[in-house]
Amino acid sequence: MARNSQRDRLQDQYGINGLTRRQMLKLNFKLSLFNLLSKLVFTGLFLLLMPYIIERINLKQVDNDLVQKREQVLALISDIGIEPFITSDSSFGSFNILKEEFISIEKTSSVEDLNFIEVTTRIIEDEEIGYRVLNYSFKIEDQNYLLEVGKSLVSISRTGRNIRNLMLVFLAFIIVITFFTDTLYTRLLLTPLERIKGKLKMISDPSLFDKVPVKTSTSDFYRLDNALCEVMDNLNQLFQKEKEITVNISHELMTPISVLRSKLENILMKEDIKPDTATKVEDSLKTLHRLQSLVSSLLMIARIESNQYLREDSFFINDVLKEIIKELEPIAEDANIKLRNNIKDDLKIKEANRSLIFSMFYNVVNNSLKNTPSEGNVLISGTFNQKKFTVNISDTGRGMTEMQKSLLFSRFRIRDKNSGEGTGIGLAIAKTIADFHKIEISVTSEPEEGTTFSFIFPENS
Amino acid sequence: MNILIVEDEKSLASEIAEFLRSENFLCDIANTGTEASEKIAINLYDFVLLDLGLPDYNGLDLLKEARTNNSEASFIIITARGAVEDKVKGLNLGADDYLAKPFALIELLSRINAVARRKFNVTNTDITLGDFTMQVQSRKLVCKGSDVDLTKKEFDLLQYLVLNKDKVLTRHQLYEHIWGNLLDDQYDSNFIDVHIKNLRKKLNLHAPSQWLETVRGIGYRISTE
Repeated sequence: MARNSQRDRLQDQYGINGLTRRQMLKLNFKLSLFNLLSKLVFTGLFLLLMPYIIERINLKQVDNDLVQKREQVLALISDIGIEPFITSDSSFGSFNILKEEFISIEKTSSVEDLNFIEVTTRIIEDEEIGYRVLNYSFKIEDQNYLLEVGKSLVSISRTGRNIRNLMLVFLAFIIVITFFTDTLYTRLLLTPLERIKGKLKMISDPSLFDKVPVKTSTSDFYRLDNALCEVMDNLNQLFQKEKEITVNISHELMTPISVLRSKLENILMKEDIKPDTATKVEDSLKTLHRLQSLVSSLLMIARIESNQYLREDSFFINDVLKEIIKELEPIAEDANIKLRNNIKDDLKIKEANRSLIFSMFYNVVNNSLKNTPSEGNVLISGTFNQKKFTVNISDTGRGMTEMQKSLLFSRFRIRDKNSGEGTGIGLAIAKTIADFHKIEISVTSEPEEGTTFSFIFPENS
Repeated sequence: MNILIVEDEKSLASEIAEFLRSENFLCDIANTGTEASEKIAINLYDFVLLDLGLPDYNGLDLLKEARTNNSEASFIIITARGAVEDKVKGLNLGADDYLAKPFALIELLSRINAVARRKFNVTNTDITLGDFTMQVQSRKLVCKGSDVDLTKKEFDLLQYLVLNKDKVLTRHQLYEHIWGNLLDDQYDSNFIDVHIKNLRKKLNLHAPSQWLETVRGIGYRISTE
């Protein structure tokens, strides 16, 4: 978890591919945005082209209309003859009242065959009106006639405008509707992805990965989920193996240590042993103890991590802290350090391992005492902070740099020369125990000022 | 007392035997489970030190078997697998005590003695140290009629030294006995020194305590000579 947040911080700072995390967008949002933009672009294009298209369609329609009217007129003529329309010299002309359409038949001397449609202006009752006119010539009893069927351009463009307006309303409506349906559908489509993301977010360890497949009808998500499950499974097996190996190696190491220890102790108990030999043997024993302590620590960490410890105790945190203070008070007094207890609240923790929790606090308090010079203070306090119980262990010791802080909980960290002796694994144990109990540890430290370790207990403990 | 050491690591078995012989025990060694099983069937032992990690035998099975054949014996389980379940299982099957490897020989001895005292119902007698008297039963140290005010740890420390009087105990042996397997990564810790210093201060308020000796470079000893 700590590693993750560190990575997040780095990404916030330096970004990925030149983008900081804050500049990144969710897939869902991106799809919706693209969706909207593409709709707007296509609509825009359509609106640009629409007048031309409508005009074309309109003219075609009008021309068809004109041809149809011509056919009707010709049919009428062949039914009732030309006489009712044309008498001797006169010509026939008919307008509807609003002058939107007209039909005229006149005799013509021209012998050309005419059959075309044109746009012309006619002056009717002192009004100049643009018409779309079909000219058609035909012959009855050696007489040529010219038939004109016209439709006013005003009425044509009016229809065009109407169509355009209707189209605009319709398009706007369609855009809104499809934008919402698309967004909803994308969201629905991406739900499995969100679920997979959720599954990944919640876990701190591959063994905790939820193996229940995410419900989806999208094969890609199905494959992704499957692949993740497999990866997690493999990782888990590797982790498990690593833990087993640690446990086994530790066990294997204990036997030779045991042999050496017994041998050295037997030598030390010989009555005729010379004092300087005895000192050397005791030195060797010390070194051996160091090795033993190291192996035991590794074993303990591996055991905790592979859940070999039970969490069945419920107890008050204060009792543990008081016990630790009592244990370490003589040491603090001897080093002239004030070990003070400023516990205000208390928490009864459930489903925990008391001896592990004891070790965790003990290691940290002990570490603080080791790093605090004479006349200094180590203060232990417990309070509720935003519903979460928090134990703070503060010292007025030499503090740490950021670099030291980041390596604090790693096993066998690189230590600088003045960090004292010790295997340096005590804090790694504390961290492992905290993780095991889902306790969050945070450290604040100022070089030469002091360090505070905060243990934040989960809300429901 | 007659002790059978069941341990597949030969050199460890012989070291344990050497030590216990020097403490006037009669020792027998079995390096395999089969050998142990045979020996337990034939001989009568007061104690069996049983390593659970035998290559040819499940240590717990051997314990079950031995309990029926040799019910007089007391069992102390030794194991490199310090897992809690092993301990609980062993004690449930009737083992009298449990020691995780690596252990101090002195610790083994004091466990054997403690089991023996329990078994033979030996009441702890008071022990005299100079002008002081240690009342083991009531966990009190008395000097010329008045109690010496000791903390629990200080009393434990003194008692362990008394139980192993005339032997030099190293700081680590003392630490291990009193704090058990609490892991302290500061292996050079001066815990014991601090406690001995406090202990001496308290003792000296009542009477001289020259019987509590510091053995340079090694540790501490209570000398009764």
